This record gives sequence, C-alpha cells and structure tokens, in this order.
Amino acid sequence: MANETEKLSASETLRETRTFGKVRCHNPSCMERLEPSPGADHIKCATCGMEFRIFWVRPDLPRIRGPVWEVNRKIAAEALKRKLETPAGKSKAKEGV
Amino acid sequence: MALDRKIAYINLSTGKIETSPIPVEIRKKFLGGRGLDAYLLYNHAPQGCDPLGPDNPLMISGGLLTATCASATARTHIMAKSPLTGLLGSANMGGFFAPEMAWAGFHHLVIKGKAKKPVYIWIHNGKIEIRDAAHLWGKSTTETQWAIREELGDEDIKSAVIGQAGEKLVRYANVMTGIKNAAGRTGMGAVMGSKNLKAVAVRGTMDIRIAHPVEALEHNKRFIDGITGAKVNRTQGSLGTPFIWGATNSWGGLRNRNFQYNQMEYADDIEPERLDEIATETIGPHHMTGCFGCQVHCRAQYKIPSGPYAGKYDEGPEYTSQGAFGAEPDCRSAVTVLTGNHLVNQYGVDNLEIGSMIAWAMELYELGIITSKETDGLDLRFGNDEALLEMIHRICLRKGWLGDVLAEGGIPASEKIGKNSFDYLIQVKGMNNLHSDERGTPGLALNIATASRGSDHLRSRPAIDLYHLPEKVMRKIYSSPVPYDGPLSSEHTDYEGKPWQVFWHQNCYMAVDCLGICKYHTVFLGATLPNFEDWPKVIYYNTGLEFTPVELWEIAERCNNLERLFNLREGLTRNDLKKGDMLNHRYFDEPTKRGAPDVVGRTIDRQKFKKMVDEFYNHCGWDKQGVPAPGTLQRLGLDHEPSHLL
Repeated sequence: MANETEKLSASETLRETRTFGKVRCHNPSCMERLEPSPGADHIKCATCGMEFRIFWVRPDLPRIRGPVWEVNRKIAAEALKRKLETPAGKSKAKEGV
Repeated sequence: MALDRKIAYINLSTGKIETSPIPVEIRKKFLGGRGLDAYLLYNHAPQGCDPLGPDNPLMISGGLLTATCASATARTHIMAKSPLTGLLGSANMGGFFAPEMAWAGFHHLVIKGKAKKPVYIWIHNGKIEIRDAAHLWGKSTTETQWAIREELGDEDIKSAVIGQAGEKLVRYANVMTGIKNAAGRTGMGAVMGSKNLKAVAVRGTMDIRIAHPVEALEHNKRFIDGITGAKVNRTQGSLGTPFIWGATNSWGGLRNRNFQYNQMEYADDIEPERLDEIATETIGPHHMTGCFGCQVHCRAQYKIPSGPYAGKYDEGPEYTSQGAFGAEPDCRSAVTVLTGNHLVNQYGVDNLEIGSMIAWAMELYELGIITSKETDGLDLRFGNDEALLEMIHRICLRKGWLGDVLAEGGIPASEKIGKNSFDYLIQVKGMNNLHSDERGTPGLALNIATASRGSDHLRSRPAIDLYHLPEKVMRKIYSSPVPYDGPLSSEHTDYEGKPWQVFWHQNCYMAVDCLGICKYHTVFLGATLPNFEDWPKVIYYNTGLEFTPVELWEIAERCNNLERLFNLREGLTRNDLKKGDMLNHRYFDEPTKRGAPDVVGRTIDRQKFKKMVDEFYNHCGWDKQGVPAPGTLQRLGLDHEPSHLL
C-alpha cells in the first residue's frame, strides 16, 4: 500500500532547501537574502537600503528584530511621496492620505 | 483504539445522557474534530435558532488522532452557532483537555438544552454526570479549574471552563483550559454561559490501542525531526508566537490605532525579544512550555513585573495579545500587554475581539462619534493604557453603557452607537479582524474575506506567501495532492495565483482540525512542514484507517462545504458587509501610510479583489454567489444533507 513506500513527500524533500545563518530583507519587492556577521546586532540591505536590528535565536539562527526606524521611516516616506505624485496616488490623497 | 471513542449527547434541560459509537463510515467521511462537528451542527441546529437559546447545540471534540502517538494532537475543537456572528461558531484550543477526554472514553460531546441552575459536566472513564456548579459561578477560569480538582480530589483533572465573560454572555467569550489555552473566537464561551454550563471536567485512564505501535513511534520520530528542524519552530521555541508579530510589524502588516496605520513605530518595549527578557527575569531561562505531545514549546510562562498586577503568573502572551493590547490601541508598554493578556485569560474572553473593539471605540472617541458621556468620563484616547485595561473590566462585567454595548459585539454595538460608527469597524461577518493589516497582501485579504467563521487567519491564510518562495518550491507544495498548473506568484503583493493558495490552505487547515493537530505542525508558517502527503502514514499507523492524500483532500473539501452550507442557511450572502465575503471599505479606499517601500501607499483593488473571489469560488466548486453547485455537493456526497446519521 501507499502507506508503506519510503518515497519522500514534497515537504520532506523541501527540507534540503532550509538555509541557516541568513535572513530575508523585509522589503517585499526586495527580499534579498542577508547574512549578518556572527553576533552582529544590525544589518543593512545592500540592494534596497533598508536597515534592520538583528536578534540571534541561536548562534546559527539570526532573525530580524525590527527596523532601524530612523532609516526605514525615511525610505518609506520617500516611497509614499513618489506614489502620491502619480495621478492615481493624487486621487487617493484627496481621500485623506 | 482511537476509533472506539464514543460520542455523548447530553441534554441539560432534561438531564438525559446518551452515548453511541462513531461508525467507521462516518469517520471516513469527516474524520473527527472540526469536520465531524460541522456535520453535527448542520444536523442538530435548527435553522435560525437563537445562538444563546437552548436549541443551539454545543459540540466539544478531539480529532481523529487525539491522544495517539502522533505528534501534537492536543487540540480541542468547539462548535455551535455563533452568538457573535449568527453564522458558524468554531474555536480551537491547545492544552491537555481533548486527550484527557479521549482517555475518558469520548471524542465528541453534543450538549443541548439549558440547565435550570449553574452546572458542570463530569466525565470519568466512560461515565458522565451533571453536577451542581453554584459554588463555581463567578469564579475566574483558573479558580474554577482548581476548585473542581479540589472537589473531586484529583489534580490531574482537565477542565474546559468559562469565566465571568461567559457567564455575562459577552458575545465573544472564550472557553478556556489551563492558564491560557483559549477556544477564543466566535463566542463559544457565551454559548456555554447561556446553558448555565460552567465547565466540562474530564479524567480518564482508558487505554487507546494504537494500530501499529512500533511503526507509529518510529514514524513519529521522523515527524518530530522534521518539525523541530524548521527554523520557524526553532524560533517559536525560543520566542513563542510573538516572533510573528515582530516580523509582521517590521514590514508594515499590522493594524495600529484601529486601522489608521499599518505599523507601530518604536514599539521596542513590546517586541518579542523584550517579552522574552521579562519571562527570563521573572521565571528563569527555561520558561517555555508546550501542549500535549508537542515538541515546539511555543508558550512562555511569565509574571507581570510591575503595576497593580505585579507578581501575577500567566502564560503567553500570544502575538494576538501584542496586537490587542499593544498595536491596535497604540499602547507601548510590555506591562500593559502582559496585564491585558492576564485579564482576558482570567475573564475568559477573546483577546483579538476585545482588543479590536476597544481600539475601534478609541477611534470613535477621537472622532467625536462617542464622547465622555458614553464612556462615563473615561478618557478613551489611543495610547491610554489605563483606559484600555479599564475597558477590559467593563466589557467582561458589562459595566456602564459602553461596556455593555461593546460586549454585544461589533455590529450590534455599531447599531446602538449609530452615526457612521460602522464604517470604522474592521470586521468580516461580524467578527473583528486579526491585528494584521492585509492591504499589502491581497492573498491574505482574500483569506479573511472568505473564512468560514468570519475574519480569521486560521482558516485559509497562505502565510508562507510572505516568504518570497521560489516558484519551483511553491509549485511543489501547491500542486499536491491534486494537480494544479495555474499561475502562482512569489510576490505577496500580487493578486495572481492567490485564490488557489487560499483554497489549498482552506483544505489543509480543515484536515489539520479534523485530525486534532496543531497548525504549527503543518504548512501554516513553515513551507517544509507536513501536509497531505505526510498524513496517511500517521493515520494508518495510529488508527489502522487507510487514506490516500487525495482522499484526505476530499474529506477536507467535504467539511468546508458543510460549513459553507450552514453559513448559507443562516443568511450568508456574497457581498453583504455584515454577513458576506466582503471587506470593510477602508481596505479599498485608504492607502497604507507606513511600512516597507513596496507596502506603503497600498490599497486592495476592488476589481481585482472581485476577480479573486470569483476564482476562489470556482476552485471551491461554488457558483458566482458562493453557493456550492449541485455537482460539487454530489461529488462530495453532501447532496442529501442533513442526513441525521448521528
């Protein structure tokens, strides 16, 4: 029966793709893999410029604790300004952005 | 064996108790847990019944695998018609209750009627007794559990209880077990309260025979290795579910100040790492614990470090409490989050719902839609921690005009408050949204709009959509167990391919809920965690039942369609803002103001949203109004429901 086969399931084969020691940039259009130096407490994305605070769950498992607010707020404000300069954005702006 | 666990029918009006086996043929169609509960609800709830009336049946259940050698089979499911939404009521909690109920001989309870005075149900090794609970009425959730243990002389008794919120019929009251395990959505605690049912206590020592014990244990080891090896579960084992809140806030996917912002800036004091520090300081380095049969251990233990509740022990907080008592009301203190978490656990009320209700009231207060007259002088501005905590007390005890009104749930409250208050209520089908903001993630927006129990992330959320998985990986996950060669997109800001993902996850999560296992052990937050292809062996080794992955998929589809039929019967229509698959206008009209560059300035596009819903219905086999097509019902064997076989 199918239950007795030793063929790996899709989820089991995907486990080979797990990567440790890296985080992904939290900017959805970037999502660059970032590799903080061991013990580093922040990292800057070389692709999009966003900057993050790092926490180490284990020595091989970093995670993004949160943004470096001063840096990422500025990037967000500039992005919003650019979007509002488009005709569609201006229309939204009238609705209270 | 697991399959010989019974179903009990308990009528609190008459005191009549009946038990019966669960036929294997029924198991093969619905498995157990949520799926079989959906069958029981559709068959036992009279159409249009009052959710707080004696005719509303309350189901309490374990899943097919509960208390077996399978991993993390801790979940208890509770179902009834919801007093919050008037539609499907369904909630699910971890802990140790369902396994104990299985050892006591039962997988499903159907509780009907209303006791004349407060009672609790005592189930012990196949015997069921209805006992007086006058001395328990008014006690908190934890006091109640300890009082029952003391009365019956057994510290291993597990109880599913209500607190004062359930007694006061707060329409989003929880059923709770342990310190913080909460069946916490759609007001199942109010249904218990309406029946004068304070608790269900269980204790069992009846063995569950495992069909193939050696293979079950060996396979479970392989399972555990896969589950504990996932990064997401390693992180949860360290920081608990708050890590999800932290990550979501980082890119701008959280509700802040009700729905005005999508990110809480400079929220360092309530970040998961800070909460972890407090748990370490107050409990010690080994402060993480878990539910029955689980190796992830995502639940922190803590004591409140300061303030009026300093020294009080509790567990969590879950990410939902960070949202409810942090971001939504714009309160930035860890002590406030931990205190709010403690209060809702003691009162037995849904943290998501009460936090959202208070944040909504705060926005109404700042807009002048409600004033200090309605708040009895309380300064209900955002960021007022004391006002937030005071409102928790008032709602749970129905104190004051506003406390009583908010206890009724969002839609009735908006009707009483009047003006344009409804426009600011972030709900679907009458249930408030999670603390997340889905304007940057169309797939997640589709999930909350179409979820069967109202706005909810645990019914069909394609959360792994946020990981930017390569298309090859997505294809591997989403083209099994049934083939799919349509579009898939790694971009979580896209609309393309999302309906299939939501459909796939809707079936995946239903299967999980029927088996009685935790969603952190499937493709909820981790792409490499088990799903349909992995479950047949687990089921076979533990129960002896044989299923193919496709058969499990079809069972999940069947159960989802039963829930849909129930909702349609109780008044769901596609575009109804109060009872339909529709989002608040703010999703479409108000762009996000914060977050990552590709998130800021986003709304959900109405036309694309409509197209996604159409496509989702099509995958489900439903017509343009979201009604299951006759061919779908026939294919799934639902064309003669209700069939009254149980």
